[in-house]
Amino acid sequence: MIKRILILLVLAMLAVMFLKLASNYHENSTLSTLGQYYAERGPAELGAANLVTAVVVTYRGLDTLGEVTVLFISAAGVGLLLRRTRRTDDDEDLDKGDRAEETAGTHKPASEIVETATQLLLPMVILFGIYVFLNGHLSPGGGFQGGAIIASGTMFLLLALPESHISRTLIAMTESLSGFSYVIIGVLGVILAGGFLDNRIMGLGTYGHLFSAGAIPLIYVFVGLKVGFELSAVLDRFRKEDSGPL
Amino acid sequence: MGDLIGSLFLLGGALFLFSAGLGVLRMPDTYNRIQTGTKATTLGTILILVGLAFMHPAWTFKLIILIFFVMLTNPVSSHALARAAHAIGTAETESTVIDLLEPGTDDDTRERPE
Repeated sequence: MIKRILILLVLAMLAVMFLKLASNYHENSTLSTLGQYYAERGPAELGAANLVTAVVVTYRGLDTLGEVTVLFISAAGVGLLLRRTRRTDDDEDLDKGDRAEETAGTHKPASEIVETATQLLLPMVILFGIYVFLNGHLSPGGGFQGGAIIASGTMFLLLALPESHISRTLIAMTESLSGFSYVIIGVLGVILAGGFLDNRIMGLGTYGHLFSAGAIPLIYVFVGLKVGFELSAVLDRFRKEDSGPL
Repeated sequence: MGDLIGSLFLLGGALFLFSAGLGVLRMPDTYNRIQTGTKATTLGTILILVGLAFMHPAWTFKLIILIFFVMLTNPVSSHALARAAHAIGTAETESTVIDLLEPGTDDDTRERPE
């Protein structure tokens, strides 16, 4: 009874809160000064059909570099916390009957249906991820989204073939090289153009084409690769037992 | 005319999606809930996409691709979820007739209800 009254009370409070929010809301009919600058000058200055990308990668490029760094640190944190410790053979604390404990370390093979679906879908998932980050300057999407899609492909692979080996060296190399190239492009912007991460170090190309908007597609390729491999490494860390050299 | 047929498809899809939600609330165990959450949502989504194709004929090709992926991924993911639930020993409802994933069970051992 008291529980029900509490629920009703919470609902009533939520209703009051949202009523206040909704009644005081009036839509902005004009852009802010900064927004107006981006909207008017952005397409001509940077040549990106997707204005959000122009803002994220170029005008606020340093913030994006910060976000990439945050993701890198969280991936490193996961790696540190989930460091592999090999299970000793005579584990005395193992409870009999606890199925999750008993089967730890032995991967149950995935069913034929999942394996077949993975063989069919995995190339398409990865291709779609690449498409999303290559078209970041033309359509919604970009490096982070494309990278996340690629990592979901890795998840798929780990679910269907739990024993599959993912090369740690390849992941670490690709990730570091992408991050490094991203910063190098930023520094090149200082030397050749107007400032850090300025995309006008390359020709702007034809507005709305795949090869346009200067260095933005290149930056997004590196961000996409970095995010994709980083998240794949995180997923790989969550596997129970080591199936290959660290 | 296209709008009317499309709206009817949308309504049908919404009904199936509603029944999926109802089934997830009302079904007795995990496996039955997974089952309603798959069959009814697959058909509901397909009906809604077909309805959209009637309302916007220019989108038809993309919508067909979407339907293909929904038909491919929805059952496979539910299948994997159900197998995982069985592997960690999730309880079945008492009225379960046969559990084919249990070792030593096949279609012939099924006890026919009298």
